[in-house]
Amino acid sequence: MIELKNLHKTYHGENGSLDALRGVSIHVQEGEIFGVIGKSGAGKSTLIRCINMLERPGSGSVIVDGEELTTMPERQLREMRKRIGMIFQHFNLLSSRTVYDNIAFPLELAGQSAAEIAAAVNPLLDLVGLADKRNQYPAQLSGGQKQRVGIARALANRPKVLLCDEATSALDPQTTHSILELLRDINQKLGLTIVIITHEMQVIKEICDRVAVMENGLVIEEGSVIDLFVRPQTPTTKEFIRTIVSHDLPDVFAGLPFTDTPQPGSNLMLRLSFIGSSANEPVIAGLIRRFNVDVNILFGNIDHLKNTPFGTLLVEVSGDDAAIQSALQYLQEIELGIEVIGYVARNARATA
Amino acid sequence: MSQEMLALLLEALGETLYMVAVSAGIATVLGVPLGVILVSTSRGHILQNLWLNRILGYIANATRSTPFIILMVAIIPLTRVLAGTSIGTNAAIVPLSIAAIPFVGRVVESALREVDYGLIEAAQAMGASPMQIIRRVLLPEAMPSIVLGLTLAVISLIGYSAMAGAIGGGGLGDLAIRFGYQRFRVDVMISTVVILIALVQLVQSAGDLLSRRLNKK
Repeated sequence: MIELKNLHKTYHGENGSLDALRGVSIHVQEGEIFGVIGKSGAGKSTLIRCINMLERPGSGSVIVDGEELTTMPERQLREMRKRIGMIFQHFNLLSSRTVYDNIAFPLELAGQSAAEIAAAVNPLLDLVGLADKRNQYPAQLSGGQKQRVGIARALANRPKVLLCDEATSALDPQTTHSILELLRDINQKLGLTIVIITHEMQVIKEICDRVAVMENGLVIEEGSVIDLFVRPQTPTTKEFIRTIVSHDLPDVFAGLPFTDTPQPGSNLMLRLSFIGSSANEPVIAGLIRRFNVDVNILFGNIDHLKNTPFGTLLVEVSGDDAAIQSALQYLQEIELGIEVIGYVARNARATA
Repeated sequence: MSQEMLALLLEALGETLYMVAVSAGIATVLGVPLGVILVSTSRGHILQNLWLNRILGYIANATRSTPFIILMVAIIPLTRVLAGTSIGTNAAIVPLSIAAIPFVGRVVESALREVDYGLIEAAQAMGASPMQIIRRVLLPEAMPSIVLGLTLAVISLIGYSAMAGAIGGGGLGDLAIRFGYQRFRVDVMISTVVILIALVQLVQSAGDLLSRRLNKK
């Protein structure tokens, strides 16, 4: 649905130039919720604004719904933009218009009659749950309600794509949750393709199907959200995941002298990640039975990625040195996220 | 004060209102587009055109930095062409309008600059054309500030119109100079001043009220 190919964008300012995008390629499938996460200054905002040409890329290609946007003449581009809805961090509602008139605004721009507008706006008011606020002005609404108006307004032209530029960043966690639920609802009901830019891993975790991690104008990691959580590749991604899934060792273990290679008479510390169906298999029990090792669970956590259960366990495997190695090999063979934290001498462990 | 004096005052008030109303009308019709152009052609805005922006800016500044009494005299030839005479209320409307157009232009410019650029981007994202953005986003959103600015312009025009009396423009200023100053009629002087003060108060209050009504923030 959206194809970005090798996008470059450089800003020229008084203090030299800044490469906001340095060759970004992304492919967003029809009907999916695609997240782009990055810290501020990573280039993610520039990226999403290239999708509807609010920002013109220096080079590269932007194809939305089969049409190349970078070479499109202005007039045609304006028509194209009506098929791409957008919502913003600060909502950008017209303060001089009521809720109803804000949602009607894009339809007025398109030259629709009052009757056509009413036929489109009223169902949207119901969809976002603001039918009772239709005659209020934005200043009378809460942040979450304002974003609901923004969403309804973005949907008025029946777009195929919805771009969300830090849409929940100005909202509290509870409101964020309800807005994300609304977006997921819309995605399912209308089959809308959604692109979300955010710096909050929570947003990715709650509704995204796939995600790209951006840093310094580049996509450094891309894949399904589950893969990203289970097998993060880069330090930045790991850092983002740590913001919502605790990866810290419990205090009593943090100070222990770990080694990377097995030492005679040492225990193995592992972090195991379970997703979906693998969460149902009795992995730990199997381990104990097959290899005659002891497995001590030090820390555990179960979360949900969109609708998929996702668990992490911090375990300590002790027993015969050879048995520990066979157990590790077995774990690495089955489809399971596994991270070796290190080996720790049994006697050091005993004093901890 | 005699019946005649009262009649004179009323007539002068009528002339002042006429001069101010017509020149304010002209200044609004030409000054609002000027303000729109000054903003929209500025750097990074929807119709960036730095040359046009700079030239209009210079003209506006030049007009505004000329003292009104000098402007009035300096453009007498133009006044003759446009009004057919250089004396009287109709003649006064020409310099009053010319002084007020850049004033309104600048006031509207600053009002439009207050509009959050995010709103413009949101409209662009919906496929709005530059004209649609000006008419449906910039002007409505800035309307409370524009009304306050126009109020300021009208008040300045009331002051200028009194000055226009100095060169035979008619109105309250003319009356104050001919009777109050040249004939030592203190009562006339005081009456004109009181009327002018009341007029300014009235305009300001009306402007404030209207601006508040329009402001939904």
